[in-house]
Amino acid sequence: MKAGVGQVSDLLSPGPGIQLTEQQIKDAFFQTRSAANALDRRTEFVDQLVRERWAWMPKGISLVAVGGYGRRELFPYSDIDLLILTPDEKTQNAIKDPLSMFLRDLWDKGLRISQSVHTPADCNQIDATNAELAVSLLDRRFLAGDESLFRQIKDPRAELGRNIAELTKERHNRFQNTIYHLEPNVKDAPGGLRDLQVLRWFARLGAADGQMTPVFPDEIEVLFEIRCFLHYLAGRDDNKFSFERQDEIATLMGAVSPEDLMRRYYLAVRGISRLANRRLESFEAKRSSLFSQFRDRTSRLSNSDFSIVHGEVYFRSSTAIQTDPKVVLRLFEFLAHHDLPLATAAEERVQQGLEVFGTWIESHQPVWPAFRSILRQPHGPKALRAMHDCGALQTIFPELHEMDALVIRDFYHRYTVDEHTLVAIQTVLALRSKPGDMFADLAAESDDLDLLATALLFHDVGKGSPDEGHVEVSRRIAESALKRVGIDERDWGMVSFLIGSHLEMSAMMNGRDLSDPVTHREMASKTGTVERLKLLTLLTYGDISAVNPSAMTPWRKQLLWKLYSQTYTELTRELTARIHQPDIAANPALVQFLEGLPPRYLRTHSEEEIGKHLRMEREGGHRGVQVSLRKSAAWILTVVAGDRPYLFSATAAALSSFGFNILKAEAFSNARGTVIDTFSFADPARNLDLNPGEKDDVVRTVTRAIRGEITIDNLLRRRPKIKPDPHAIAASRVNVDNQASAAATLIEMTAQDRPGLLYDVSAVISKRCANIEVVLVTTEARKAIDVFYVTKIGAKLKDEEAKDLADAILAVIKPAS
Amino acid sequence: MKKIEAIVQPFKLEEVKEALKNIGIDGMTISEVRGHGRQKGHKEVYRGQEYNVDLLPKVKFELVVLESRLDEVLDTIATAARSGRIGDGKIFVFDVIEAIRIRNGDRGDAAV
Repeated sequence: MKAGVGQVSDLLSPGPGIQLTEQQIKDAFFQTRSAANALDRRTEFVDQLVRERWAWMPKGISLVAVGGYGRRELFPYSDIDLLILTPDEKTQNAIKDPLSMFLRDLWDKGLRISQSVHTPADCNQIDATNAELAVSLLDRRFLAGDESLFRQIKDPRAELGRNIAELTKERHNRFQNTIYHLEPNVKDAPGGLRDLQVLRWFARLGAADGQMTPVFPDEIEVLFEIRCFLHYLAGRDDNKFSFERQDEIATLMGAVSPEDLMRRYYLAVRGISRLANRRLESFEAKRSSLFSQFRDRTSRLSNSDFSIVHGEVYFRSSTAIQTDPKVVLRLFEFLAHHDLPLATAAEERVQQGLEVFGTWIESHQPVWPAFRSILRQPHGPKALRAMHDCGALQTIFPELHEMDALVIRDFYHRYTVDEHTLVAIQTVLALRSKPGDMFADLAAESDDLDLLATALLFHDVGKGSPDEGHVEVSRRIAESALKRVGIDERDWGMVSFLIGSHLEMSAMMNGRDLSDPVTHREMASKTGTVERLKLLTLLTYGDISAVNPSAMTPWRKQLLWKLYSQTYTELTRELTARIHQPDIAANPALVQFLEGLPPRYLRTHSEEEIGKHLRMEREGGHRGVQVSLRKSAAWILTVVAGDRPYLFSATAAALSSFGFNILKAEAFSNARGTVIDTFSFADPARNLDLNPGEKDDVVRTVTRAIRGEITIDNLLRRRPKIKPDPHAIAASRVNVDNQASAAATLIEMTAQDRPGLLYDVSAVISKRCANIEVVLVTTEARKAIDVFYVTKIGAKLKDEEAKDLADAILAVIKPAS
Repeated sequence: MKKIEAIVQPFKLEEVKEALKNIGIDGMTISEVRGHGRQKGHKEVYRGQEYNVDLLPKVKFELVVLESRLDEVLDTIATAARSGRIGDGKIFVFDVIEAIRIRNGDRGDAAV
């Protein structure tokens, strides 16, 4: 469309009058910083010039302003887009000479003209070759000449939306589809002025469902002002917001710092970019029939609160939030569960209801359980982002405003702090569905990913604080925020540890010899338990990955993995070391109780839990059996009893006789022979939830099984039949390690998980008169990974005994064929 | 002119960089690399199973220096990178035929 008459005109000096007016507009802008005014005045002034010169042109043709000029948004050095309409192609030849005179004259005056000559028929025909012309016509404005020709141009049809969508996607690709560039282009980058225009075009075409013309008054003001400064400072149509210009413009705009200015910029483009992406998506979705089939199926998920129309979630009632503010929390749990996007209308409802929601929260704490359950859903991170985007997250935690679009201006940090935070959470939780990645197993086997996500949410919140060292500031902010919403002590302990230590692993990776045992010992003492180590490793993984898209190189991954695996080995080696001097010396009964328990016991149980175990021991007496059952994320059964043969396996058998699936188990014993076993298990049939009486039955059955009042054979007859799993993927493996621990033989096994597996294995161990000292049982996906610390008459097994035992275990864990 | 390529332990990166800066060497290229030397990697045990780790993460420094400063620079790198354990790395020295500063066309020593 730009058949430029010649760039040579750049060399010609502009007319004195024009120069004066341009200078006046510029001066006024630097004084008032009103971009709208500058654009308006320049448009007026150019209109006047162009019309004057048009007076000498032949009759029967028409002059039209298009593009930015057409919509009266003429930036200081923007091209002036003109369309010359002729009734037919013959006329185009005839007006050649006067037209080039007209254009040369304007060039000589110093106006950068970009013109095209067409007939109305050309203009009304849209195809791939002239999409840009058709788009520019959306902003057409009649200037001079024969107005009847102008009126022959028809409004483009909705199909043009497809061309706009394609051009926009291409443009976004050129900018890697992110608004986060250190030196962004304010016109073309995602979220920039071009996207704003795309939104206006879509609205005009009605190309996407029921959309209004978007109004972004504040965003427009910021972007217009920046672009005017960029043009004036460069003296040409330069839209790159470079570091140098950020410094200059920050001073001119009276921003506190360049970071502060960039914060305003990102806040502005973010809103535009979000809406533009939504429009593009819904436009694409409308076109894909496969997608619409899927989408229409999702409408069946509608419930009494929400309805799903065209795959987007709406509130059923327009006053939902006003009458029942808690619906906001249910909404995000719903999104997190079903992976559905929020409709724009519903998002606006949430935004309008934030005040009501905020007041409700104040008087309805704790909201922690509801918040946590959003994070626990399969698509928690997506819902978290949606909560952040509409401000609901900041209503629950106003502290998070501290990091809104906060800029860290260096060459490594690509994202603003809030974006970094959301990307980190997304990266870590996405690991769960990335089998093959070495960190994926860690994510799959961790129960507390919601706590990890919570820690990540706050880990950098102190970055905006002028105080030195953001770690402690972040931790303090998190403490007051999370305690306000009612986090319990145990969970806060983990979150506090993670935030407080979030730089430890990367510091060790970069500054310490990872082959040096001192490094692993130090990391082991800093983390304390395998659970903490795993979560800290994942947090570090997410934190590094979210610095910029290429920050987590395979090289860094390897360093992090090495630090993790060496520390893991160090920590498990420590399992059989005994507690020697418990700090809890104030309570002599407690000191006696703890005598002989490994440090892990102290680290994995809260004071409250330890107190409960002590009480259970006391109530049960020396030979007594105490069993308790409670529900947390999974069901947790605790047994405190005097040690006896088959204790662990009898409990496992009793649980599997109910069809429960044991996820995790730990067995500890103290010096005076009290055994503390904890089993966490899943109840796939939801028997315990649906039949309150069943809980007592479980406790009774476990107690009787331990006491030997029911035989294990009887229990196992009740056990559901095991069908061999045709999709069994986990190879069965048993590994004996007589070196790792000083006091016990380690037996590690991996097998396809199935009900009763733990009983089968523990029974084999008990049958051989071996004593189970410590057991760590975890289940990841459908794979059981169990570690038994076994002794016989207080010592390690002999090598051949250990090998026999391993063979016997292998025989029972192999899938039945 | 000599080109120095030094393969060092990742945790020695900052120390070596700092030591070079202290003797006035500012220009260098640093890359994250993986490889193995004579020890051909090693075995690591995780959850009771052995894994072969054959390619170990290292950092590679590349810099070109004047011949007159060669020994001083080599000493500086070797001292800063030494931990005394296996895997500390190696330093290689090459002859450089020509150097050109792209900005202004300077050649030879002046371009270094």
